This record gives sequence, C-alpha cells and structure tokens, in this order.
Amino acid sequence: MSDPDAYIALISSLPGSERLFVAKQPPLSRLRLDRRLKALASEDARVLRVLEHALNWNDYDMDVTDDQAIARCKTALDDIPQPTLKKLLVERMDLRTVVAALRLRHRGEPPPATPLGFGRWSRHIPAHWTDPGFGLDAAMPWIKDARQLLESNDPLGLERLLLSISHKQLKRHSARHLFDFEAVAIYVLIWNIFDRWAQSSAQEAAARFEKLAQQAMADVADIDFEGAYA
Amino acid sequence: MNELVLTLGWLGIYAPMALGAAASAIGCAIAGQASIGAMTETEGGYGRFVGVSAFPSTMVIYGIVIMFTLNRDVTPENAGGLFGIGILSGIALMYCGIWQGRACAAAINATKEKPEIFGLALAPAAIIEGFGVFAFVFALVISAGIS
Repeated sequence: MSDPDAYIALISSLPGSERLFVAKQPPLSRLRLDRRLKALASEDARVLRVLEHALNWNDYDMDVTDDQAIARCKTALDDIPQPTLKKLLVERMDLRTVVAALRLRHRGEPPPATPLGFGRWSRHIPAHWTDPGFGLDAAMPWIKDARQLLESNDPLGLERLLLSISHKQLKRHSARHLFDFEAVAIYVLIWNIFDRWAQSSAQEAAARFEKLAQQAMADVADIDFEGAYA
Repeated sequence: MNELVLTLGWLGIYAPMALGAAASAIGCAIAGQASIGAMTETEGGYGRFVGVSAFPSTMVIYGIVIMFTLNRDVTPENAGGLFGIGILSGIALMYCGIWQGRACAAAINATKEKPEIFGLALAPAAIIEGFGVFAFVFALVISAGIS
C-alpha cells in the first residue's frame, strides 16, 4: 500500500485528466509531464518506467513476437509491487489478448493449439473459438462492438473503442487513488491514451488529406491546358 | 500506583493540545502541498488555495481550549476522567485534522479545474470541521463533571 499523501503537490500540479480529451491543444506536453515526474521517488520512477515499457506500443519493435511481449509483461508483473497497478496491467493484457484473438479469427485462422496471449482467458478463448464473443460477452460486453468494427474494416473506429475501454478501466481504478503513486501512474497511462487518441486523429486527418489530394490530382489530369500544345 | 495514575491525568490534560497541534500540522501540510501544486498549474486564485489549506489549523485551537478546561490539580480521583476525556478528544481532533487536510487537498485539486465548484467542494471539509466541533464541545460538557 502506497503512502496516500505521497504526491499531493505533483498531482495538483497536473491538469485534470478529463481536460486532456476536450482540449483542442494538449494542455500538457510529454516534455512538461516528464519534468513534473522528476518529483517521483527513484523506486516509483523505476516502477512507472517498467509499467509504461510493458504497456506502450511505442516501446515494442515491429517484429516483436508474442512470446517476447508476454515475457515482458510477466517480468513487469514481478517488478511492480502495487496491487492496483498489477491489476491494471493484467486487465490491459486481457484486452489485448481478446483483440488479438478477434484479429486472428477475422483473418480466418483456426483456433491456436496452445494458450493464446496472456492472462486468465488464454485457454478459454481457443476453446470457444467459434463463439462470436468467445463466450466472454458478459465479462467483456465491448467484444461485440469490436468484432463489428473489425468486420466493417474500420481500424480507426476499433482503435478508438479500445482506447475508450482502456480509459474507462483506468478511471475506475483512479477513484480509489487520489494522491498516491498509483494516482500518478494512472494519470501517466491516461496521458498515453490521450497521446494515442491525438495520434489517431492525426492519422485520420492524414488519410483524409491523402484521399482529397488523390481526387485533386485526378482532376488535374483531365485539365486541358490551353496553349499547351501551341 | 498513584504516581502512574497522576501521570495519566497530566497526560490527559496535555493530550488534546499536543494531538490537536499534530493534527493541524499534518492537515495544513497536506492541503498546503495541494495548494502549491495547484498554483503551478493555474493563473490566479492563489489566495483562495492558501486560505483553504489553513482550514485544519482550527484543531489546535480546540485542543488548547480543551486543555485549559481540563487544567486543574490532578488527584487520584480525577486523573482517570482527565485521561479519558483528554486522550479521546485529542484522537478525535487528530483524525479530523488529517482527514480535513485531505478533503481540502481534494477540493483544491478539483477547483483548479472548475473554479465554479469552489464552495461545494469545501462541503466535506466543513462537515469534518463539524465533527471536530462535536468532539470539542462535548469534551467541555463532560469535563464539567470532573471534580
């Protein structure tokens, strides 16, 4: 159990996590966040690094294998002493396991012969491969929406759904932690979600720009340049 | 044996003051840290934050008043009463001060985002203050029965 009053000044110096999602401009850059996080005790800073290293996609190489990712999460679980943060990590990995299973099935792959992914559902999912929701509709009601988004080929919608689920999980845990280390860690994880959310908006804008540019270029090809052949 | 009883009596007299001071110190430190943090994030309203962080300082005042009320010649007959009232009122004040500090810190943290909820955010701290007043007033009432 962390000291409940360990990081009062630090938490109070951060903009509210709700504001991250409504602001047009990011109220807190990673640079500024890192500067504030210097107030963390060295052991807490280490635990936060371990947690972020296990959860951030940016920290994974493109060619990382399932076994490597699972090993990293298991090491992180051993390294993190706070029960709330362990639980958060396990919940996020459960989510990723289910999404991985949805993607595999969407690609038409057969149920894996070995346990899939990480966590308590790794054996359950292959055993319920033909069930649309892997028999987890009660535990994870969002699976239906995720499956529909995957089938309708909407990766951005799926990304946003997963980010909103992760955000809800974090907010649920944050209710019990006001000014302790867990509150700081949860804030940083929410900031990471905000960052990915903002990136997904940028990607959407980039895709739209590319589509418009292609349309514009197609029109250009049809333009009859007067005098061009004079 | 009498010496121990008399010691407990003196302990009871000074306990509300000592525990009240500890309560105020811890409570003000907790709320004060929140106000310092909030000041780095906001552009104004600093005075309000500092004012709220001083809320738990009332606990030491209640403790001082209880101490003066209990202060009398300690005898083997009245030492038990002095000890009971002093220690228990002191513990009550200490809990009130620490948790009031936490409530004030939460209020400061919330109002830095939404200044319009300033009054409502202070309600939990005010309710805790009420419990501290209960402990204070009834310590005075009960102490009247000690010879």
